[in-house]
Amino acid sequence: MRRCLLFEWKIKIGKLPNFLNYATGTEMEQEKLLVVTDQVAVSVSAIFDAVKVVRKEGVEQIDPLIITQASLDSLLSVESSSIDDVVSICKSLEFPSDQLLASLSRVLKPGGRILLYLTSQSEEANSSLERKLLLAGFLDIQSSGSQSVGVIGKKPSWKIGSSFSIKKTSQVLPKIQVDDDVDLIDEDSLLTEEDLKKPQLPPSDCEVGSTRKACKNCTCGRAEAEEKVEKLGITMDQLNNPQSACGNCGLGDAFRCSTCPYKGLPAFKLGERVALPGNFLAADI
Amino acid sequence: MDEKFDEQLLILYASQTGNAMDAAERLGREAERRGCPSVSVLSIDEFQPIDLPNKEAVIFIVSTTGQGDNPDSMKGFWRFLLQKNLTKEWLKGVQYAVFGLGDSSYQKYNFVAKKLDKRLSDLGATAIIERGLGDDQHPSGYEGALDPWMSALWNMLDQKNHKLLPNGPDFVSLDATFIDQPKIQIIYHDVEEGVPPLSSDTELKYLEMQLERARSMTPGNFSGNDRPDCFLKMTKNHLLSRPDSGKDVRHFEFEAVSSSIEYEVGDVLEVLPGQSPAAVDAFIRRCNLNPDSYITVQPRSTENHHLLNQPLSPVKLKSFIELTMDVASASPRRYFFEVMSFFATAEHEKERLQYFASPEGRDDLYQYNQKERRTVLEVLEDFPSVQMPFEWLVQLVPPLKTRAYSISSSHLAHPNQVHLTVSVVSWTTPYKRKCTGLCSSWLATLDPQRRVFIPAWFRKGSLPPPPPSLPLILIGPGTGCAPFHGFVEERALQSKTVSTAPIIFFFGCRSDRDDFLYRDFWLSHSQNNGVLSGDKGGGFYVAFSRDQPQKVYVQHKMREQSMKIWSLLSQGAAVYVAGSANKMPSDVFSVFEEIVSTESGVSREAALRWIRTLEKAGKYHVEAWS
Repeated sequence: MRRCLLFEWKIKIGKLPNFLNYATGTEMEQEKLLVVTDQVAVSVSAIFDAVKVVRKEGVEQIDPLIITQASLDSLLSVESSSIDDVVSICKSLEFPSDQLLASLSRVLKPGGRILLYLTSQSEEANSSLERKLLLAGFLDIQSSGSQSVGVIGKKPSWKIGSSFSIKKTSQVLPKIQVDDDVDLIDEDSLLTEEDLKKPQLPPSDCEVGSTRKACKNCTCGRAEAEEKVEKLGITMDQLNNPQSACGNCGLGDAFRCSTCPYKGLPAFKLGERVALPGNFLAADI
Repeated sequence: MDEKFDEQLLILYASQTGNAMDAAERLGREAERRGCPSVSVLSIDEFQPIDLPNKEAVIFIVSTTGQGDNPDSMKGFWRFLLQKNLTKEWLKGVQYAVFGLGDSSYQKYNFVAKKLDKRLSDLGATAIIERGLGDDQHPSGYEGALDPWMSALWNMLDQKNHKLLPNGPDFVSLDATFIDQPKIQIIYHDVEEGVPPLSSDTELKYLEMQLERARSMTPGNFSGNDRPDCFLKMTKNHLLSRPDSGKDVRHFEFEAVSSSIEYEVGDVLEVLPGQSPAAVDAFIRRCNLNPDSYITVQPRSTENHHLLNQPLSPVKLKSFIELTMDVASASPRRYFFEVMSFFATAEHEKERLQYFASPEGRDDLYQYNQKERRTVLEVLEDFPSVQMPFEWLVQLVPPLKTRAYSISSSHLAHPNQVHLTVSVVSWTTPYKRKCTGLCSSWLATLDPQRRVFIPAWFRKGSLPPPPPSLPLILIGPGTGCAPFHGFVEERALQSKTVSTAPIIFFFGCRSDRDDFLYRDFWLSHSQNNGVLSGDKGGGFYVAFSRDQPQKVYVQHKMREQSMKIWSLLSQGAAVYVAGSANKMPSDVFSVFEEIVSTESGVSREAALRWIRTLEKAGKYHVEAWS
């Protein structure tokens, strides 16, 4: 078999490998194919064999862009999303590197295919190659070829970085299965508009000592009145020598008025010290 | 008999916590005092709605729960009334009146009474007077509305149907000689009949027996009057919250001692609390009772035959009090004060008690008694000259009620055990006294080393157990996480043998270090392909309300996960909400409205209707406790 160098082959079919053509996006009728390899040179038959794996149909009409000793720089001039198929013919498992693989992904059209083809056949190599493709974000990964010589992957068919609306303003809500009691009326229909309005709290009688407190910007005088009540809080003197003008304070909570300073304390006898129960809380003491 | 109608005033009440029952009983007494020939006061579930057209006059006293729902006792009656095939003539000729007990701080204020009023009118019944709406927010609670409404009722009844109130509508003033009769009678027995001597292995049997006897004798029917499903023994008592954090939340584990137990996740455990021995003794001393005497309690009137069918075995007086009468926790009702006034020998006490029982003194009574949560013992000690006969005490002392807690364990994961997550309730009264909840603090003081037997019942709550294939959206801040602890335990177990659907769970608490309940449990299930893990399509999100200047609650976390929630909802997920905050369920509902509306692009109203449909389809459940 005659060994020809790359350029010879290309000359044979009348075309020079022209990076610039690809780079400027010259239209070609057939699907664009990129072949990369870590080797210095690669034979045409090797390329044919590899391409046959990824393209089932005849390979006579191919016009691949071939990059030997491919590195990251090699792809700088290749336009993004311009390649239909990528074939990587590799001798070593390290090729292509993760970064190169990412670049290959970049130049691939969405939905485009990539084949990692090993010149030396090895069963274990396939799983390593599959992982490589998986981590690089390719889909539909599978071993291919008659003797599982390569691993094919597919670039996802949505463009990276494209955005589309997640909100489906479809105006349709999922249907719910209701075991309806068709025999009963809808009880919500018994309520009127008035019923459904937020209820108004009953007007406060603003009674000092009830649970309602004065507002922060009180203008009705309730705040002053409350302050007065607070000042009536119990003192030590009152506890030691309790007196009662009305005479009811000592009788216990049941007889005390709402402003009584002894509120909450047990009953006592006038003049005798008031026993503070263990559970009593008073702010001033 | 040719009469079309029964000559009777029928009062039906639907009570959740006893307030509506109390109001109904008062209404009945007032009717009797005005000479009504025949008054009947019944819980609405004791009445067959099919008999409604035969009644002359029916008064309804109905409570609305915080979520706008009927009390449990009314559910059957209401379903009957909603039937489409009832015509608008069905209740023709029946006079009715409705009084509702509600709370105006809720959106669904008195919905039950409002709907009932409309439905009865639509079915052809005639309203005697406009419906009355009692409001917890009123300075004297529901009685603020009840008093004027009742006066109006008596006046109208007198005009429309004089034979119901032959004495006229005016209030017969209370004088010193007029007193009702107690509804029950007490028989004292000389010797204990047929009880084997106490020994350690029959200690449980003894309790069982005393409990059964005592609770079958108590007047009125309420939860926990039937035999306990089992007796439990506490095996673990762990503090879940940080000490000194201001919260006391416990994890309790129990074992069944008497029989095997059965329950599902989402179920509720009802427990009969023990009372403080000191309080019980103080009550017995105060009331001059002999703790060792044996008694049976029977209804005085001969109408209620069903209670007399079985011969009652006597029970020890002290046991009867311990097991059925709440002496140191619940507050007595207005009627208690009225009856006390007859038995007060000191003049100033008698006056004060009569004042409290009168319409003028109603607000002051409310301040002194209800708002302050005065216990029976405290009230009796505040009026030392009152000596009430035991019959009256048995009738009027609030019954010792069971307390219900959501079960936090999965029976599959813990056979023969049941676990609870309980927050010890404590608060400061308006008079600045510190109080604690009876049952929660009692449970917290129990020592697993000591043998204390706890009567318990298993009940269905509002949270049906989900099948493993149902995706779940769970929202449970604070102790609301309890039932979901059981859900996750169970699903984790199920995932070992069948494929399970994802769960996303929103938890909330004050701070990471204070009260992040079951922290390790939730975290372990959100990693390593656990049922809450992202890998499984699930999620676990915590809102720490106080760990930053602005408040962050579960609803804020839910908004952050809007898309995920919508995704699960679209897959047919069910929503479960549980917790103890008043407004939390409605806040969560609002966020769902927002999420559905935003993610699907429909209007807020359409979203609201869609979620309502979810509720009707049994895909949206709320368990809220106060």
